[in-house]
Amino acid sequence: MDTLKVRDAKDVEEVVRAAIASEQPLEIIGHGSKRGIGHVMATNAVLDVSALNAVTSYEPNELIITLQAGAPLADVLSLIDAKSQQFAFEPMNTAPLLGTPGLGTIGGMIAAGLAGPRRIKAGGARDHLLGAHAVSGFGDSFKTGGKVVKNVTGYDLCKLLAGSWGTLSVMTEVTLKVMPKPESERTLLLRGLDDAVANKAMTAALGSPFDVSGAAHLPKSAFRERAEGLGDIATQGEALTALRLEGITASAAHRAVSLREALAPFGTADIVEDAASAALWAAIRDVLPFGADGALGAWPVWRVVCPPASGAAIGRQLARETGGDVIYDWGGGLIWAAVPPKGDAQAAIVRQRAEAVGGHAMLVRATEEVRRNVDVFHPQAPGVAALGERVRVSFDPKTILNRGRLKRGEA
Amino acid sequence: MAIMMPAADQAVLARRSEIVAALRAIVSGEGVIDSAAEMRVYESDGLTAYRQPPMVVVLPDTTEQVSLVLKYCAEQGIKVVPRGSGTSLSGGALPLEDGVLLGLGKFKRIREIDFDNRVVVTEPGVTNLAISQAVAHAGFYYAPDPSSQIACSIGGNVAENSGGVHCLKYGMTTNNVLGCEIVLMSGEILRIGGKSAENAGYDLMGVITGSEGLLGVITEITVRILQKPETARALMVGFAQVEAAGECVARIIGAGIIPGGMEMMDKPAIHAAEAFVHAGYPLDVEALLIIELDGPGVEVDELIKRVEAIAQGCGSTTCQISTSEAERNLFWAGRKAAFPAVGRISPDYLCMDGTIPRGALPKALARIRELSEKYQLGCANVFHAGDGNLHPLILYDANKPGEIERAEAFGADILRACVEFGGVLTGEHGVGIEKRDLMGDMFSEIDLNQQQRLKCAFDAQGLLNPGKVFPTLHRCAELGRMHVHAGKLAFPDLPRF
Repeated sequence: MDTLKVRDAKDVEEVVRAAIASEQPLEIIGHGSKRGIGHVMATNAVLDVSALNAVTSYEPNELIITLQAGAPLADVLSLIDAKSQQFAFEPMNTAPLLGTPGLGTIGGMIAAGLAGPRRIKAGGARDHLLGAHAVSGFGDSFKTGGKVVKNVTGYDLCKLLAGSWGTLSVMTEVTLKVMPKPESERTLLLRGLDDAVANKAMTAALGSPFDVSGAAHLPKSAFRERAEGLGDIATQGEALTALRLEGITASAAHRAVSLREALAPFGTADIVEDAASAALWAAIRDVLPFGADGALGAWPVWRVVCPPASGAAIGRQLARETGGDVIYDWGGGLIWAAVPPKGDAQAAIVRQRAEAVGGHAMLVRATEEVRRNVDVFHPQAPGVAALGERVRVSFDPKTILNRGRLKRGEA
Repeated sequence: MAIMMPAADQAVLARRSEIVAALRAIVSGEGVIDSAAEMRVYESDGLTAYRQPPMVVVLPDTTEQVSLVLKYCAEQGIKVVPRGSGTSLSGGALPLEDGVLLGLGKFKRIREIDFDNRVVVTEPGVTNLAISQAVAHAGFYYAPDPSSQIACSIGGNVAENSGGVHCLKYGMTTNNVLGCEIVLMSGEILRIGGKSAENAGYDLMGVITGSEGLLGVITEITVRILQKPETARALMVGFAQVEAAGECVARIIGAGIIPGGMEMMDKPAIHAAEAFVHAGYPLDVEALLIIELDGPGVEVDELIKRVEAIAQGCGSTTCQISTSEAERNLFWAGRKAAFPAVGRISPDYLCMDGTIPRGALPKALARIRELSEKYQLGCANVFHAGDGNLHPLILYDANKPGEIERAEAFGADILRACVEFGGVLTGEHGVGIEKRDLMGDMFSEIDLNQQQRLKCAFDAQGLLNPGKVFPTLHRCAELGRMHVHAGKLAFPDLPRF
């Protein structure tokens, strides 16, 4: 299989046009860190954008950064961190979960759109992508959005690109919103709550005026052998409910105390600060208890998104019916479920439970064989699926880009 | 009247009575309006310089009726213009002579308040403010707050992706909407998203938001609600130069502070506002910043100190800090009344809405001053300084021959300057008809074709709100055609591995 390493947007156009003319689909990759997510593709060549790796401009006072799509995420995070800024949606590092090296590229971060714990407050990748240059499946380079935070000029195609897994266009350059890093953070830890009570505690915290920026629950079963990445914070055999407060130091400290008082009916919370707090949230963001190197490393992992107050109810059902383990983030609105391996990754149970509360489930980690048997992405209602397909065709009528990644059997 | 709308279809107009009868069979009684006198209230929206009575107005009150109306119109090839409260400042709801005006004003019910999931499920005709009022007893509110929030509908907010003074910190409509029920032009009813943070599949909600009524008609919306911050206080800071005020804004952001709101007014705007509401604005300054900080008291107090120090470092000449809610509201009163205040000093005004990078503010204001000279028309500037969103108010008198044309040309030049300085044509008011013909200054034909292809995925006949947003309309068949680029099939220069 050919790998075509493009140097600029013109090269991308040329490669896509040639692929259209010869009707040969392309796999789009940056560093390939998330290549194991999605269906096995029917592509004959790889379009490698990793050499499009420049920082076009970074203007901290404008809260924006413009980057080529192949820019390494790790480098970009260091660059903005040096100015005390961050991507507020906390992009997930899929490496520990998938057992692949590296954080990947900016393009991959947006195309996957996997946001971390702060999604409940700051939104997802889609909320931080301000503008993009991309090459469509027509072989044309187009731009959408702009380089300013407030913009309603034309359709917001950025929203479609975020989370499209490379099936609509090949992004070549993007402008992202950056936000100041909080000066300080505090995390309240409640111990020993069962899932239903923890869900209520998280609901109470998120319904308080204390501006909670993370609400997660790790049931005791989530720590099978050791509490991967959680250091001294987690004790084996004891459930942990974590609530994060960020801001200037005086404010985070003040709100931590206020929230502890408000949550007194759920127990007395410990408070951890800064580095310890940050390490905990990184572990939750990257789902370390289900890491590829851990005890559950061989189990398929589902990512279930649902109305937050329904989290515990379906999380318990999932754990019981599949014999698996769950971790809750987003106040219950995101459930990571590791299930004992079966040919279909227990898809029927997971999907039925998710749909019963209006949620959806994506199979993030599974062997290639399982991914041939199961829809990785949640099947949508027929009308919505048909509209989504018409949208896809409006960008890529010949299905040249990442053919088959989103849909089983398309390959 | 510089903007031309698509030519009316005479064949459709000739069938008007038949069409009215068919609509009456779907929506009974007063829900179909066809008398010229009664239709007059619908002939324009907030962009009052443009007026056009519709062929007929229909006011359905169920999703099924909306679906049947659209299906009928799609089958008959009749254009449809959706309308909420009609407060659009860009002409998004301007009727078409041969079109059905579909008003959503009867969709006035909040369907569900779900505090546990922190969402409200509402019909589109509910006003922006009514949502906040419905949840205020529990300490919640809906964050986006366009100036028209008393009147504007949440459906219109979704169509326009409305902003407001607090969107620097809390986002625009698109960041606060989770799902909708939408009726496509074909009459098909779809549910997109819901109470979950994210949808499965492509982010259709994201692209429906801000689509200016061209993709579908929304009949239900799920919005996020937030707890109100504990406190809010504001600073009112005056500067002898606009540049110093701009520098102050940049330094506040650079210091990692995201105020709840950060507004700037220039001298003409300050004077007009002060004469109108007597907010105690200093009259001897060139620029005034209103900076609001919200959150817990301890945080607000600390940030007020930091912002005050930054302002002094930038050479502020006056600085007042609110010590009560009444005083904070007074600081805002002038800014919030800036448009009507300008309306008192000029018979007419055009409100523009471009966005620029914050750093380009002094350049942009200098250009506006030059253009003001060139066109011999006054201009007052109010500015969402935090996010670079400019609202120049161009003063003119419609009764003086040629002034409206000069004002429009002045406005177009300002928006072109916004694009030249790295910004965009519209920050929150939408393209509508107002900026339609400037789209080519920001986007290439290829860019616009890609946008129109998306339109085709939702409305292949192009019957929903045609004549808005896009300067040139293309048939979907033409847009979907693949041009095979002749020649090079190999990639001779590319490294292979």
